[in-house]
Amino acid sequence: MTRQQAPQETLPAGASSPDPRPAPPPASRRPRGGQSAAWRAFLRRTPTRVFLPLLIMFVLVAAIGPFFVADPVATANPKLLPPSAEHPFGTDMLGRDYLARVVHGGQISLLVGFSVAVLCMTFGLIVGGLAGYYGGWIDTAMVKVAEFFQVLPGLVLALVAAALLGSNVLIITAILAITMWPGVGRIVRAEAMRISRLGYVESQKAAGFHGIRILVSDVIPNAMPPVLVATTMTVGRAILIESGLAYIGVGDPGNPSWGSLLNDAQSHMRDSWWLAFLPGACIFLVVLAVNMLGDALNDAFNPTIGRVK
Amino acid sequence: MKARLLHYGRLSLSSFLLFIVVVTVLFFLLELAPGDPVQALVGDVPLTDEFRDRIMAAYGLDKPVWERYLIYLGNVLRGDLGYSFATNAEPVLDIILSRAGNTLAIAVPSFLLSTLGGLVLGTIAARTRRRWLDGGISGFAVGLFSIPNFWFGMLLIMVFSINLGWLPTHGKSPYGQPGIHWEYMVLPIITMATTELAYKARIARSAVIESLGQDFIDTARSKGLPARRVLWRHALPNGLLPMVTVSGYSLGFILAGSVLVERVFGWPGMGLLFVDAIERKNNMLVLGITIVLTVTIIVVNIVTDVIYGIVDPRLRAGFAPKKEVTT
Repeated sequence: MTRQQAPQETLPAGASSPDPRPAPPPASRRPRGGQSAAWRAFLRRTPTRVFLPLLIMFVLVAAIGPFFVADPVATANPKLLPPSAEHPFGTDMLGRDYLARVVHGGQISLLVGFSVAVLCMTFGLIVGGLAGYYGGWIDTAMVKVAEFFQVLPGLVLALVAAALLGSNVLIITAILAITMWPGVGRIVRAEAMRISRLGYVESQKAAGFHGIRILVSDVIPNAMPPVLVATTMTVGRAILIESGLAYIGVGDPGNPSWGSLLNDAQSHMRDSWWLAFLPGACIFLVVLAVNMLGDALNDAFNPTIGRVK
Repeated sequence: MKARLLHYGRLSLSSFLLFIVVVTVLFFLLELAPGDPVQALVGDVPLTDEFRDRIMAAYGLDKPVWERYLIYLGNVLRGDLGYSFATNAEPVLDIILSRAGNTLAIAVPSFLLSTLGGLVLGTIAARTRRRWLDGGISGFAVGLFSIPNFWFGMLLIMVFSINLGWLPTHGKSPYGQPGIHWEYMVLPIITMATTELAYKARIARSAVIESLGQDFIDTARSKGLPARRVLWRHALPNGLLPMVTVSGYSLGFILAGSVLVERVFGWPGMGLLFVDAIERKNNMLVLGITIVLTVTIIVVNIVTDVIYGIVDPRLRAGFAPKKEVTT
């Protein structure tokens, strides 16, 4: 369950940075052209036009929705009401407004998903960048760690760790980031290895620039497109794993996510379909949107891969 | 041949080290776990200091951490995973093995279904001239692996068991009857297979496309071989190589996913045992199941590597090193 990344097709050598930071120093001669064109191509694709607004909508609802919905813990309503005008998502087994529960749950699910992805990207860029650029012991160590997490399913590791250490949102986020960052790190490493052999980087080395400076100003910006694809996919996988953990009961009891709602819904599948259907549909739509956007990003920055013949 | 033997030697060594690392990580996670181990052993009753000391001595808890670590590691290597105190001090390994068969009964069919289905769908998508069919299969694959697997199982139950009444909702046989009845297996197998099927279809598609783009395909075509023969005899066998690696990993993911799927269907296998053990804070059992899963996955990976060596003619002849396949 933990893996589902796009098949890792690396970028053609000419692909360039989406990074909008100011122009690089003249010495760098970074290959340009195509970066904003690729972003425009990304925005023009049909999947982007459908799924980007969908994802933005979910994020907005999770961010400001809680101010508009009913109290998610108030048990004043009749129990197990089907969806109606008054309760668009019905009510649950304790008579709580289910729309409020789903909106608050989404906040937790999305927060975990995006935090894990940002942490993975940060670790991945630092460790993967150093490993790919410098090689040596840090490279060997990183490859070993990545192998470790590739062999062991992240779900099992996260489950054991969360079960033993206790499950709150912070611990779960940290555990997921620790088990998932090598996925991003490996891509950064491969890109850093490729880029550090390119002419403009060689010329910087010859000009005597410090390695870290070259890494930050040239290698990492140019490695960004595939890293962004992997990070995007990580959001989806993190949400899936978190919801799986919560479904099994290893979630934060104080902050129920969509997975926790599904855990509660398990015993009401026979009488109240909406309890199981709605949170799962939300997870599905968000993860689908993220994966579709990741694919579109990959295609836009990587137009040669696709159908060869 | 010599290079191959050396390769397997190194593989065995690194697999063994990986196993040691896993056991070490698990042991120290258990050490870090909050709560009093003695209290966890005896249950929720008040303890006198004298009784506490006796328990500590009896279970070796009075020894320093490193000593207990070495003892635990030694026990695990001898196949002793400890005892489950929650259930009459049964050996953990016995409990796990008594459930393993049930898990394999749904995991193996899921594995075969997802591998064959993924291969067929992926090859069709790669080969078809109808772009809508390729797009449809690829979109379908992304859709399938975006579905939370366990929720998909719940949907299947709601549609096929509750609404249509075709299949049972829960368990492996009618109440009180021994054995496994096939009606009970259908939905768990489908649920377990979906994510992996989608993933394998994607891999198979890109592998066949890549394989079709290579020079030896042009050679085969220019010899005047029929397109069908080029696809099945030339492109597909080469495209199969990444599939071998991916299938090896996928068995591990199917076993890990059994934790969720068995919970959905109340299927009494290792996964459900795992969930129960976590709920009851039966830590020895949690560690035991994790270790058994790890060993299984490591063994599967070694077997995968051996199969890869047999399937890939370049390796059979002792040429080029194994091509890195990213998953």
